[in-house]
Order: sequence, then C-alpha cells, then structure tokens
Amino acid sequence: MRRATLICWVILVGCGNDRGLEGSDDPLSSRGAALYQEMCQVCHGETGEGGLGPVLQDTALTHGELETAIAARMPVNNPGQCAGECATEIASFIRSGLTSSALRCDAVPPGPRQLRLLTRREYRATVHDLFGSSAPAMSCTRGTECAFRDACTAGSCTPSACDAQTFVFDPHGRVLASVHVAGTFNQWPGTIATGGLPLAYNATTGLWQGAFSIGEGIHQYKLVLDEREWIADPRAPSSVPDGFGGANSSFTLDCAGTDDPAAKLVAEGRPAGFPFDTAAASAIVTTAHVDAFLAAAEPLADFATANARVLFPCDWTGQAARCAQDLVDKLGARMFRRPLTTAEAGRYRGLAATDLATAIQALLVSPNFLYRSELGAPSGDHYRLTAHEVATALSYTFLGSTPSDALLAAADQGELDSPAGIERWARALLADPRARTQVGEAVLQWVGGQDVLTVDKRADLVPGFSPATRRALATETRRFAADVVFDGGHTFEDLLRADYTVLDAESAAFYGVPAPSTASGRVRYADGRRAGLLGHASVLATTAHSDQTSPIRRGLLLRRNLLCEQLPPPPPFAGGVPDVDPNATTRERFAMHTANPVCAGCHKYIDGVGFGLEHFDPVGRWRETENGSAIDASGDLTDVERLGTATSAPYTTVPQLASIIATSKAATSCFTRQYLRFSRGVRETLAQRCDRLWLERRFDDAGHDLRELMVQSVLSPAFVERR
Amino acid sequence: MKRRDVLRGGAAALLALPFVRALERGARAHSTGGYAKRLIIFYHPDGVPGPSSNGEQSAWHPTGGETQFVLPPALASLAPYRNQCVFFRGLSMGSTDVGSHPGGAKKLLTGVDGGNGISIDQRLAQTVGAQDPFHSLYLGAMANQNGASGDKHISYVAPGVSATPDDDPISAFTRVFGSGGTTTGGGTDPKVTRRLSVLDRAKADLDDLRSGLGGGERAKLDLHFDALREVEQRIMATTGGGGGASCQAPSIDATGLTSQTLYAPDRFPQILRAQTDLMVQAMACGRTRIGVLQSSIHTSELIMSRFAGTPMYDPGFDMRSHQASHYGASHDLAHREYKAFVQQSTWWVEQFAYLLSQLRARPEDGGTMLDHSLVLSCTEVCDGNTHGHDDMPFILAGGGSGRIRTGRLLQLGYRRHSDLLVSIANAMGDGLTAFGEASSGGVPGLLA
Repeated sequence: MRRATLICWVILVGCGNDRGLEGSDDPLSSRGAALYQEMCQVCHGETGEGGLGPVLQDTALTHGELETAIAARMPVNNPGQCAGECATEIASFIRSGLTSSALRCDAVPPGPRQLRLLTRREYRATVHDLFGSSAPAMSCTRGTECAFRDACTAGSCTPSACDAQTFVFDPHGRVLASVHVAGTFNQWPGTIATGGLPLAYNATTGLWQGAFSIGEGIHQYKLVLDEREWIADPRAPSSVPDGFGGANSSFTLDCAGTDDPAAKLVAEGRPAGFPFDTAAASAIVTTAHVDAFLAAAEPLADFATANARVLFPCDWTGQAARCAQDLVDKLGARMFRRPLTTAEAGRYRGLAATDLATAIQALLVSPNFLYRSELGAPSGDHYRLTAHEVATALSYTFLGSTPSDALLAAADQGELDSPAGIERWARALLADPRARTQVGEAVLQWVGGQDVLTVDKRADLVPGFSPATRRALATETRRFAADVVFDGGHTFEDLLRADYTVLDAESAAFYGVPAPSTASGRVRYADGRRAGLLGHASVLATTAHSDQTSPIRRGLLLRRNLLCEQLPPPPPFAGGVPDVDPNATTRERFAMHTANPVCAGCHKYIDGVGFGLEHFDPVGRWRETENGSAIDASGDLTDVERLGTATSAPYTTVPQLASIIATSKAATSCFTRQYLRFSRGVRETLAQRCDRLWLERRFDDAGHDLRELMVQSVLSPAFVERR
Repeated sequence: MKRRDVLRGGAAALLALPFVRALERGARAHSTGGYAKRLIIFYHPDGVPGPSSNGEQSAWHPTGGETQFVLPPALASLAPYRNQCVFFRGLSMGSTDVGSHPGGAKKLLTGVDGGNGISIDQRLAQTVGAQDPFHSLYLGAMANQNGASGDKHISYVAPGVSATPDDDPISAFTRVFGSGGTTTGGGTDPKVTRRLSVLDRAKADLDDLRSGLGGGERAKLDLHFDALREVEQRIMATTGGGGGASCQAPSIDATGLTSQTLYAPDRFPQILRAQTDLMVQAMACGRTRIGVLQSSIHTSELIMSRFAGTPMYDPGFDMRSHQASHYGASHDLAHREYKAFVQQSTWWVEQFAYLLSQLRARPEDGGTMLDHSLVLSCTEVCDGNTHGHDDMPFILAGGGSGRIRTGRLLQLGYRRHSDLLVSIANAMGDGLTAFGEASSGGVPGLLA
C-alpha cells in the first residue's frame, strides 16, 4: 500500500495534463507546490508573501537551511510532521517556485478539462427549462403552467395528491356490510362513525376500495371488517408486529419536493473552505446518486410522455412511432447540449418508437445529460472547448441552466468561435431574467446565507423564526444581490455598502420595518445601523449559535469568505465557548481570547471583527443592550490587506466596517477568487493564479462593475483553453 | 515515518484511483464459511472524556487486566455485552494533518492523512460486499447539517473524495426495501424492465464518454460505471425474488419525520434509532453486509440538551456536542460542560449498546447476528478537549463468526489504528496485509 500511494502521488501531480507519469518541470505544478499549499500556505501565504508566518518569497535562506527548519519546526502546530522527502520537496519549491520570476504572469494558463455533474440547483433549472413552461417546444399551452407531476391535458392541469393512499380489499366473495381503515393516522377507530375511513364496494370488480389523503410519514393500519374483525391488509407493502401477536400493515408517504424534481437528489460534496455547491472534482456519482437519478427521472419522463401530444406538435395519431423518434432527436439534442452521435441516436430512437417514456427516462439518466462537458477537443498542444461546450458553459455560468435552442444554434453557426461572439452572447445572457437568480445564488452561497433555512434557533428566545421567515431572509439576500448588480450601483462595493435592502412583506415584518408598496422592493436603511450584506439576517443568523451570537463565526466569515485570509485551526487545548453569563455581554465573555496571548495571536483577527456585529442578536435583529449592558460594537479591522502587516482600521458602526472591507484590495481580489470558484467549479492552485490576476486587472479597470467581472471571466483564455 | 506521500482533495487526488482499484482486484474473494458476515461502523462526534490536560486518567477507557477489566460508568450500558466486546489501550491514529477534528475524521477509516485513500468500508464493499444488492450502506443522522462539507464525512469512495450519507430514514428505507406493493411473484415487474433498459443506455453512453479519457475524469467515470452496474445487479436480483431467511417484515419508526424535521435537534434520538433499525434490518434481510452509521459530524453543533427524557435534557440551556467536549482542563463534574460531556459520551455508548441489542435479538446460524458480526464504535479524536489522536476510544464488538477473541481489554502499548482496520478486513475474509499509510499487519492477538 505504501508503494502504491507513492505511485499514485507521482501520477496525481504529473497526470493533470495527461502527459504521463513524469512530474512537470514547472515548479508551480510540482509536488512541493502541492505540499506547500496543504501545509504551509495557511501561515506563509499563497505566494510566500507572509501572513501569520514570515515572508518566504525570494528568501535568502539556502535550500539546506529551509530543509532543516521545516523538518525540525514545521508546521508550527505539529512539528516533525514533514521530515525527510517532504521537507526536501517543499524547500525546493520555495527556492524555485516562490520567486518573483517564477511567479511572473506572462500568459494565462489553460483551465482544467473536466466533467461537471449538474448540481441539484442546475438539475432543477435544467429540467424546468426542458419540460416546464419556459422551453418554447415543451410548454403547456394556453397559459397554464403545470407542476411537473401534474397531468397537462388540453391546457389544464390535474394535480396528483402526494399524500394520498389507495386501499383495496378483496373479500373473495365474502359478503360484508362495511370495511374501514383504522391506523396511526386516525387513532385506530373501531367504527366508521368514530372516524374510520370507509372503503366502498364495487360490484363490478368485486373489490372494496377507497383513496384518502393521509399526511406524510410512515403509517401503520389495519382493515376492519364489519366494524369488529381487525385484519392486516394482505396487499400492504410491509407489516410490523402489532404487539398482540399479529401484524399491522405499514406504508410510507412523503410529500417532500412534490414539485421539485431535485428534492431527493444527493447533496453536493463540497471541499472544506469551498463555499459553493459547484465543486467539480468532488462531484462523483455513487449508487445513491444512481438510485436518485432513476427515481427522479421516472415521473419526469411520464410527465413528458403524457403531455407529448400537447407539447410536441406532430401527427401522433397517424405516425406515433415516427413522432416519438423525432421528439427524442430534438429533446436529446437539447438534453445532451449537442446533436446526438449516430450510436446514441440508434440507442434512443429505437427505444422511443416502442416506449417513449423509457427513452426519455434514459436520456435523463445518461451521463451526457448529467454531466456538462468541459473536455474540449485537441487544439495544438492542449484542448479547446467545442462550440457546443462553450454554449453550455456560458449558459450554466450566467443562467445556471441548460442552453436554449437559440444558443445551441449560434454554436452551430460558429458564433461562439471568437471572443467577440462569446462576449455578445455573454451580454445577451446577462439580460435574461434567470441571470438574476444565478447572481443571487452566487452571492448567497458566498456569504453562507442559505444555511439560514436550517440553522437552529431557540424557539423561546427567538419566537417566530418560522420556515417562511427563513425563506424570506434567504430571498432577501438573493434579490438584494440581483438588485445591486442589475438595477443599482452595479459594483462590488455596493454589495457591502448599499444603504438599502430588498424586502417583501414577510422579511419586512421580521425586521420591523414598513413593507414595501410592491410585493418586493427596496427599503432604505434610514438609521445608519446596517449596510449591504453585513446587515442581512441570513448572514447574521447563520453565523450565530442557537441562543447567543458568535463573534468567532462572524469574524471568520469576514476573514475567510470576504477577505480570503487563512487562519490556522485552533490548537489542541483551545477550550470552548466561554460560559454564558447573565451579567456579562458576549464581548466581555470573549475578552479572554485577547487577554490570553496564546489565543490572541489569531483571535485578535477574528473576534475583533466579529465584535463589530454585536448589535445584532442571534437572528440578526438590532439590540441596544445585552443583559442590561450597553453594546460595544466598536473595533479595529487590523491587517485588512494581509495578516501580519500591523495596519489599523478602526470603526464604530457597521457601515464603517463594511466600507473598510469594501474598499480594500484584499476584498475585491477575494471576490474575484470566489467568483471563479463558483463559476469554474475549481479550487484554484498556484498554477492557475495568473488566470485570477488577469481577471482581477479587468475587474479593477471596470471600476469593480460586477457585470464586467462576469463577462470578462468568460473572455479569459482559461475559459475556452483547457489542459 | 512521517513523510506525507499523498495529497489532499480535489481532482488531483482522484487520479490515484486506478491504482487503488488495481490493488483491490488482487484481494481474496469472500467465502461465507468462517468469516464475519457483516461489518457495521458506528461513528459519533467529538471524542470522549479521555485523559485531561491536567493529567487526570481517562474517564472513558476500561481499566484492569486482559479479562479482569472494569468498565467505567460511561460504558455501563455495555455490561451485558462485555464478553462480546474488545476494548483497546494504546491504539493511535498517529499525527494527523492540519486540524485535529477534520484531520481525525479524514484519517479514521482511510488510515491516511488528509483522507487520501479509500476508506475500509468502501474497500470491503468492493471485495467481500460485492455480491450483495447494496455493496455498502452509508446512513447518517444529521450528518449533512447546514451544508456540511466533505471533510465532515468519514466514508471515502476515492482518495480525497468522501461519500455523502443518507440522512433521511424514510427515503433510505424506501431505497433499501423498495416502496413495496409491486413485488408480486410471476411476471416481470414493468418498472424493473424499464429501469434495466434505462441503465443499459446509461452504461453504453458512459462507455463512449470514458473511452477517450484518462486521468481524474476517467477515474470519476469508472466510479460512475461501477455504481450503474451495482444498481443494475441489484434490480436484476430483485426480479429473481428471495430475501434473507431471517428477514422479518422490516419497519422503522419514522412517525412525524418530514423534510422539515430532519434537522430538528429534538428529533435526533428518533432519527438515529430509525437509521440503526434500518441498518440492522438491511443486514438481516441480506440487502448489504457493510454499513456505516454516522451520527452527526465532527465539531458538532448538535444541541444534545434538547434530547427529551435523557439526563442531558435542559430546555433552558443549549448545550452543543462540540461545546461540551471543550470541558476545560480537568474532569470537574461541578463544571457544566464536563458534566454534560460525560452525559453525552454515556448516551453515545448507550446508542451503540442498542445497536448491539438489536443484533443479539436476531437468531442466526445457531447463535445470534451479533455472534457473526463486527461492530466498530469510533470517533475522530480521543479526549474531546485536548484533541489527541493517541489511545483512541474505539470498541470492537461481535464475534465475527468466531474470528474475534472477545471479552478482552487489549493493552497495545502503541499500535496504529490502521492495524485494526486490517484485522477487521481479515476477519471479513479480505486478505489485505496493510491498509493506510502506516500499518504493519493486524492487531496482534485480536483474531482467533
């Protein structure tokens, strides 16, 4: 095993470019670079620029001196962990890679070739655009928008109850006066008069039958014949002992995501510290995924098939088989985001002629649908995305969904072969309403605000923090982001400094401000208490505990997500959260972090920022006092551009704190990095740093206009060029 | 030897996969005779009240001689099973990479720093579990809370890539046992025919797609292909009918569980119980032989003071797992965190004991299921406050069909936990000789 892991390891560095087993000559792609990124970067910085640890870039130390120091003293919290070859490799990398000349950016390197599994969000949007109301070829006609499980017949929808259960009892000729259902859902009534669910006798079939809406959960029941004979249902899916030597019948009803085809898909794997759901490398398909894809595809395929006559005009009566084949051709090209190959067409057309539903389900489970390809085709010494892949990448980047017929046609016509053509389409896509959703999602995930939906809060301390309120607060952040980007000041600074937010009636009631006159609209912060995203309860509640605020979590969010500054994890013996004290403010309780020099080394960077948000309670509502004492929310955002530089930036209000961050170079640089993570799905390596710097320069040139950041990101050579 | 020879995470790490897989093909095929029939790994977060930073002895580890050992109060619920358990002193995970909780969780089942290896459950899924409908089953209780990142999960399908546990007992139940009602004998279920037809095309498309690829993306598609094939085999086996002979009408108590309540802390005991019952029944019914039950996640925010009817219950104060685990410098029961942490640790052991009770309640081959099982209880650090990775608080229970010499406290001095993973694999009939970055064969004296 030891030998095997060593082999793997050589491959893992050398194989990224498909060039075989040899390591690259580029020090930035070396083994030492990867080890450095894993163990040293947190303190010494991505390029050895320094931070909590000393500067290493262009170091005067010799290879031998570095090797000795690493082996003996590094990493600080676990010395001795990196001896021998590990120390040698890292020392070599520091000497050869962390130098001004090796770090110079002469060209943008190609991006990685990859297959990107659709996220649940992308799956949902894609399926909606394929089978829902917005796809021109597949819309329910006459103005009716049906949920995907509904039957859409002649323009009207027939919803199917998700919590209904049908009971059937075959008396085998026995004559009965009544049959009813009694169970956990109706408290086991012995008679129909006391709540038993009565089955009706059908003389034609000779069966007793009934369908009832029961509610979600796993239920147990029995059938009661003539209101005295209790029996297990012979047709029940499963049964459990009833405690009297017999059995209760049991079944499950679950309504979750009845209208959400992605509700039961597996949650995205996400590397630690990667705030987005788009990480491509960890998105692998296990059997749980396959089961979920199969299950999700079944009702979708049935829906599409049942509605095919309405959705796809064709002579379905006269030439059903040909219609089905034509439909699969057209739908398949939309779903694979390119024309089907001959082999694929054979696979799906043959099936469609006899069984259209199965053919559509198969398209939905095909890897060509589930992955969006960024593999490219050979082009010189590297690869280049095909026109269809460019169309796909553009559409998912800007809209989070599958490319339209028009965009795929543009690819066919060569419109996406030039940067000018890509730019034209990028700007066109930004004008699509779905771009607002996508921007909202990027910003919400960047600040971790989606967790407001689930983060636990003490019901007695924060009453009324209902699911509806939580949803409204996540929506606030999404809508605010879209407003800033498309309607407001357009810039990154506005995300943090805007003196307004976007509320609906639910969120306005939560904040205790008058609701906007429209269903949702801007509400100005007149009191100077809040500014931009830092004033959002989605952010403030997610970074607080159930019963108290957490200056640590809030501080870390600012340092890590907003400034991309890295802090090492707490050492062993760190101790926990200070005890809740009814006579002290949170700030007073956490004072020990800065009083104790061992803690202060890091916590001066963390709590010091988090204290600035202490006016906001655990769900993000304003408070003047805590436990009877006035809140002190003043602070100093030390070392905002880089840890260890001993700069000072004092503030007393949240708008001031927000301004310090918004106008820092570190924050705009960090946002560029975060946007690239979100849109490219890659956790960047040092070798890809020049791509980010390229984009950063253009972002600066555009005055930090976020629309330009997005457009320029697809004009970077790394977008189409791959290796 | 502390050299770090593998890297963490991402596409790069996936590239290592073909070689791991090549190794596995050399593994010995499973024969049911004489080997443990199944493995269940039970994980709980944030360690135990181990040796304190003030130097007090562990309040969790048993003390005494090999057979004449004493269980501390925290392990009292295991008294009825003491002769079917093995306890350890001196089992170490070695040093772990940056971050003691995540470092421990990544290394727990992989034996490799940074999770840069396949985990033992996934390996066994590919060897001894490969004939079962589910090669392995990974269930969680609130293990995806608040969008938990991959470093919180302990099962690794590939170096650097963890799997995602299923937290929903209802959907997991449906997945394992089917929605029922459609498995009548005689003709072929049209739904089954349909799914096989769908999978057939997915496999063909996948073969086309992967044929021109190398590196990480190829490895990704190979995993995808394996998953398609496993599901296909399972569906085909279902059409043939037949479950385990000891399989009684499976059921779990999921009353009131909905997607809205899956992460409500007061529901945790019910959810863990349901997942435990599901795991045991999946095994009893021959649906799988390799299972991981992950209770919450490291540095857990689980509010255990919301568990009604337990000594931890305190509606007026939210005590989280990770908060309690940092109980301070000494074992002071007057200290709120320490008292809560002892109660929490005791409760986790009780849940493990419940799992054992369910296995022991089911007869199998002249004994009980427990006699033929291996059940490992584990967590990612030793003492919750000092975060050490020495003297890990693991318990191995079950006779493993006579493979394990149980009823003992093993004093190992210093032995890497990878060796325990090797011994477990060997008892299951997988003949591997080393696992992870630092193993030197199995744990001496563990196997019969």
